[in-house]
Amino acid sequence: MPAAVIPLLWFQILAALLFTIGVVGVLVRRSALVIFMSIELMLNAVNLSFVAFSRQHVSMDGHIFVFFVMAVAAAEVAVGLAILIAIFRNRDTASVDEVRLLKG
Amino acid sequence: MILQGLLFAMFAGTAVGCAIGMVFHRNPVHCALLLVAVLLSISGLFVLLNAPFIAALQVLVYAGAIMVLFLFVVMLLNIRGESPLLTTGSAKGFGILFAIIVFVELLWTVLSPSTELSAPTSMLPRGFGSPAAIGRVLYTVWLYPFEITSILLLIAVVGAVVLAKRKFL
Repeated sequence: MPAAVIPLLWFQILAALLFTIGVVGVLVRRSALVIFMSIELMLNAVNLSFVAFSRQHVSMDGHIFVFFVMAVAAAEVAVGLAILIAIFRNRDTASVDEVRLLKG
Repeated sequence: MILQGLLFAMFAGTAVGCAIGMVFHRNPVHCALLLVAVLLSISGLFVLLNAPFIAALQVLVYAGAIMVLFLFVVMLLNIRGESPLLTTGSAKGFGILFAIIVFVELLWTVLSPSTELSAPTSMLPRGFGSPAAIGRVLYTVWLYPFEITSILLLIAVVGAVVLAKRKFL
């Protein structure tokens, strides 16, 4: 069976595009929940880049790194959503424009 | 090659389209479902890159566990779409400008001739990216990081329970 021979560059450009969309989501949206989703999107773009390089260099270290990124992302989402619940319970909003306790 | 190119175009198009939809959709539930579509297409791209184990993990962990967590929170808190969708004032323009700068920088890095690489080889070792091969590397070379990850997840579980308790913040 012939293996995939799609050039690395295509995956790199796609990963850059997805990462940028995630950056736009984090910087522009007001809802903290959608900001979390955009962070997941950025992590996934980086994962795609890792796996593409792994394929290019025929080394499985990239796969291992994606595994760790997924574990950290799961931990981040669990804690982040718990913080979101705590904020929502006290302020009755999930908008990052309303929550500015540290802004002075 | 033709088939793989077509599959790549399909998955990449779905991923980018759904990602843009996710960032600019008003209803959080729709945002979550569009993110599921993005994650599933990325999983398809992983299959194209000869990483079947990572693709399965992507579906299980992201599209399964993390998305259910998101949907739980949306329904638990009854979050509705906020009335001004985007941040107001100079933050919005600055954010988009900054994102464009990031994109140009990333493209610059990707397209710079110093990273010139040969075409990926079509000859892969037997079992590349299979669960057995990944497990062998994970439990020998990466054993300590793997164990530390379990501690990280434990801390996350404890932290989530403590934070979500009533009368904390």
